[in-house]
Amino acid sequence: MYAVAAVVTAVVLAPLAAPGYVLHYDMVFVPRQPLTWDLVAPAQGLPRAVPMDAVVSVLTQLVPGWMVQRMALGGAVLLAAVGAGRLVPTERTGIRLLAAVGYAWTPYLAERLLIGQWGLLVCYAALPWLVRAALELRAGRAGAVARVLLAAAPAAITPTGGLIAFGVVSLLAAQRGRWRGPAIAVAGVALLNAPWVAAALVTGAGGTSDPAGVAVFAARGENWAGPLVALAGTGGIWSAQATPASRALPLVPLVTLVLLALAGAGFGLLRRRMSPDVSARLLVLAGAGFLLAALGAVPGSADGLRWAVAQVPGAGLLRDGQKFLVPYALLLVVCVALGAERLVTRLERTNREVAGVVLGGVLLLPVAAMPDLAFGGAGRLRPVSYPADWQAVAGLLAADPGGEVLALPLSGYRAYSWNAGRTVLDPAPRYLPATVLIDDTLRVGDVAVTGENTRLREIRHLLGAGRPATETGVRWVLVQQHRADQVDPATLTGLELVHQGVVLALYRNPAVPPNPVVVSPVRWVVVAAMAVAIAVVVAALFRRYASRLLHGNLRSEVQTLEDWHA
Amino acid sequence: MRKALTLAVSGLVAAVLGILSLGGLAAATTATEEEAVAEAQELIEEAKQADEPDPYAPEIYGSR
Repeated sequence: MYAVAAVVTAVVLAPLAAPGYVLHYDMVFVPRQPLTWDLVAPAQGLPRAVPMDAVVSVLTQLVPGWMVQRMALGGAVLLAAVGAGRLVPTERTGIRLLAAVGYAWTPYLAERLLIGQWGLLVCYAALPWLVRAALELRAGRAGAVARVLLAAAPAAITPTGGLIAFGVVSLLAAQRGRWRGPAIAVAGVALLNAPWVAAALVTGAGGTSDPAGVAVFAARGENWAGPLVALAGTGGIWSAQATPASRALPLVPLVTLVLLALAGAGFGLLRRRMSPDVSARLLVLAGAGFLLAALGAVPGSADGLRWAVAQVPGAGLLRDGQKFLVPYALLLVVCVALGAERLVTRLERTNREVAGVVLGGVLLLPVAAMPDLAFGGAGRLRPVSYPADWQAVAGLLAADPGGEVLALPLSGYRAYSWNAGRTVLDPAPRYLPATVLIDDTLRVGDVAVTGENTRLREIRHLLGAGRPATETGVRWVLVQQHRADQVDPATLTGLELVHQGVVLALYRNPAVPPNPVVVSPVRWVVVAAMAVAIAVVVAALFRRYASRLLHGNLRSEVQTLEDWHA
Repeated sequence: MRKALTLAVSGLVAAVLGILSLGGLAAATTATEEEAVAEAQELIEEAKQADEPDPYAPEIYGSR
């Protein structure tokens, strides 16, 4: 299983064998990410990457960012495949392999990889392990609570992953007559979610979002069959640029139909082997995920979602609903594998060769239907090196700390020539050891989805009125040279040029003296929440490994004594 | 006769899937930077003709 999973991982992520950093849409890794307050607890933005950024910052103090990126992506694809293979209730290795390949080759994985949301892929990889641990908890196995918490911890590095993990554990672990273990597991997973919940409570951004995002981030039809069929095949991400080209083929809905038919046949086997109660709960989870994914794409529910996003704090999490498809993808793959087992078992009664050929065909089906996931989405993910300017500017800011950095031209996403023009989230907030202000307006097609950062709103208003950057109160201005023509020269009036490089220029605002970073006491709440989450993980690790070691040592001592007496 | 026919048909389907997978994988693994640039250029041209914003302009997060 591990060998097949390793081959699939190598095929999907082959370009990452080259040195450098893959910078693609939301995927930004830097050599050494500073542990700044804005990455731990954003003061003005929504905590979309809490505690993920803090985790990466800590890890990159120990190992270089390029290695963290490979560990995260490689680990996610490999463990997703192995986890799915091991979850299938079967004795047949071929069926497990089918699930392993199928789960590591879904449109969901491809699309979230191509939009660079690796945190969601970590949740995707953790889910089969989490479901397995939750099933062990239901079965009353010793140490299952610790396994649940250890599987949920990586999922909870993003708010979406944390919510999915919480939903899975709440629904699967709950059991009549046995409450202690499930209650501890649910409480533990809730505490793992504490960092982003605390960050959301203390941020100055407010909890509501621009409802324009509902329509633009709704599930998208990838071919003639529309968004719901795309979702049924685990695809349907909003972005055309993050969708493999093969998803537009007219035969894709037929492949989805075949998979659904197999899954339908496999669900009966799942009921028999995992008990009707468990399979019904898995179905509810998958159904809930599918409904959340479809909310923005169905006219009536889209209106409700638009209202919720604008009025209910936190509802903005639902606007890119396709990301909630993870439990659906897992159940689909497991049921397809079991459906294939039923089919193959039936065929084996008449002809073993045909059965083998059919099994091979079903195993290849996901790859044949979407071959352009291979090689990093047919070459879309390619590592590059940061130009030396980045290190130079980071060094200057580290030598003269204090004050905000404004990145110009105002845009959250960049397309650098040194990154082959690929769109990527501005690396400045993660590369530079300072609070970096980048525009949080998201432009999708011709729609601008307003961000939540109030400070940025003020700055945008000032610069839009033709005022110089010196009046914004920022201490530094970073001009990204590839689009320097979009920066009005009047904006830079009164600034002192500190560094002029090929790709970056750094200006200092003489009107703003260096001021120490003032940390609002409420931000320590987020640190406390992170400490609690870490304590949960450490306790689970201790329960899982250290106690077993102690018991093991005790058992071996007893055995030695018994041998001696004998 | 029936068995042979079933084997032939399923073998054919599996072979087609195999060829599609291997062919697709081969195409994907040999994708070059130039092809990626050409594909991006094509999308930019399409957007221009449809009077839509350039999907690869830096300020554009993506398009539907």
